[in-house]
Amino acid sequence: MRSAAATWSLLGVLALLALPWLLAQVLPAGQAQFWTANILGRAIVFGIIAMSLTFLATYGGFVSLAQMMIAGVAGYVLAIFVDGAVPRIVGGLGYSLAVPLGLVAATAMGLLVGAISVRTRDIYLLMITLALAMGVFRFVETNIAWFNGYEGIRNVVGPAMPGFDVRDPMVFYHVALGTAALLYFGVLYLVRSPFGLVLQGIRDNPRRVAALGYSVALHRIAAFGVAGFIAGCGGTLSTIYNIGISPGTIGLGATVNVLIMSVIGGLGHPVGAFIGSLIFTVFDTFAATIYDRDRFNTLIGLVFLVIVLVSPDGAIGIGARLRRLLAAGRR
Amino acid sequence: MAMTEPAIHLRGVSRRFGALQAVRDVNLAVMPGERRAVLGPNGAGKTTLFNTICGDFPPTSGTIALFGADITRLRPHRRTRLGIGRTYQTSLLFNGLTLLENLFVAVRGLRPNRFSFLRPGRGDDGMAKARELADRMRLSHLLDAEVMNLSHGQRRQLEVGMALAGDPRVLMLDEPAAGLSPGDRPELLNLIRGLPRTLTLILIEHDMDIALPAADVVTVMKDGEVVVEAPPNRIADDPVVQSIYLGGVH
Repeated sequence: MRSAAATWSLLGVLALLALPWLLAQVLPAGQAQFWTANILGRAIVFGIIAMSLTFLATYGGFVSLAQMMIAGVAGYVLAIFVDGAVPRIVGGLGYSLAVPLGLVAATAMGLLVGAISVRTRDIYLLMITLALAMGVFRFVETNIAWFNGYEGIRNVVGPAMPGFDVRDPMVFYHVALGTAALLYFGVLYLVRSPFGLVLQGIRDNPRRVAALGYSVALHRIAAFGVAGFIAGCGGTLSTIYNIGISPGTIGLGATVNVLIMSVIGGLGHPVGAFIGSLIFTVFDTFAATIYDRDRFNTLIGLVFLVIVLVSPDGAIGIGARLRRLLAAGRR
Repeated sequence: MAMTEPAIHLRGVSRRFGALQAVRDVNLAVMPGERRAVLGPNGAGKTTLFNTICGDFPPTSGTIALFGADITRLRPHRRTRLGIGRTYQTSLLFNGLTLLENLFVAVRGLRPNRFSFLRPGRGDDGMAKARELADRMRLSHLLDAEVMNLSHGQRRQLEVGMALAGDPRVLMLDEPAAGLSPGDRPELLNLIRGLPRTLTLILIEHDMDIALPAADVVTVMKDGEVVVEAPPNRIADDPVVQSIYLGGVH
């Protein structure tokens, strides 16, 4: 059954690879490009950040609100060190060095958040990760020397080589999709490794895990490190997508949005993060046109409320329910 | 008489929780290969005695030796590595994992490479050990079943399997048959009786019909103290035991 799921995931990735091309066949050129970059591309980028939260929640039982902040750490380190960013803070590095540096920083921040919160659970874990996220946000917002304060750092255009320019929506989409697919399958691999099994053991029964001779703290901190790396990949892509980064990217609104994506998509499988981010992005983009310009948040809120009320386990829960209904009907 | 060291040797072991004296001055010597049943009414201190031996709640006074080596102050997982396996009264399994994964996690916890990001390969000896344990517990047909979907009896069998993961020299079973339907009991009892004599067995049991046939020596506890220690055939007639079990204390 698990290999069947892997086959379906692979087919899904192939379908997504071909999707921009299909869109170009059925939509006018401008529309197709808008959907490729501003809906699908953005959904994948936020899906990656949401997946870092889903990974911790699904397999470890830890709900962390620090993931958007950790994504921002990768983005800020990239913006601080890369050549061409405005204003120049440190600079001097190309993308091939600045991007890995950002990922290392995000992983380190993930480990740090994991270490600080290692003894907390449930609502207390939620509060401590939120406090860390807001602390970093306020620091970044008010610090001019390193983060250029409220303005943020602009002109992080992304790497460009002849025939490969990430500013091309098709190229960006495929880079984001490739990254997401690698991380997604990486997570699926990891959760059946000894580390992943012990992580799920901690979720189900931490006392027994300790009694069996494992270090619960080590596994928890490592899980936050892995989630930090995933969030960092998302933060790097989002910084390039937005051509820069500002404190608003990691503010309270953004932090809550990532949680909303994870929840409406469904905590239960990493794919939920991407489904949730797609639903979120579509409504975030079109709510103002569909409903009323001043009240579009009401529509977004109602959609989320309906999803969570109909299916407490999110969109993937609705899918599972439909499949059970169909199977029952066939019998 | 051979001068063998007891497998488990308790000397003057007491455990206190605040004002409550849960275990009081217990002396107990269980010889290698012995089957020892610990009987007693609810609140007699049986599980607390177990926890002092396994390290979940170390004794507040007294000493515990495993084959002559003092283990009084060791952490629970250190004792596991020295050869004490245990099951819990209420199943402490990993519900979201499969049966095979539960056993694998139990096996891997005792190995030096227990922290790893790499999946076990085809020839992984930890995985092979997990399969072998499933086989011994007669659960091989359920390797990929999620543990939350197992029956109560199967969960108890899996508990015993996980306790055997470290090749323990002493196996401690805390009410292994608790909550089992009468139909499931013989299966578990046969399994326990089939364990090799190289293993020392200590089991807590409520039900005399299960404890007596399985045991060589029976220890009866009441109010934290050992009140009787005798072979099973003398237990049912013992006046003290009768007063505990028939005298309305229960």
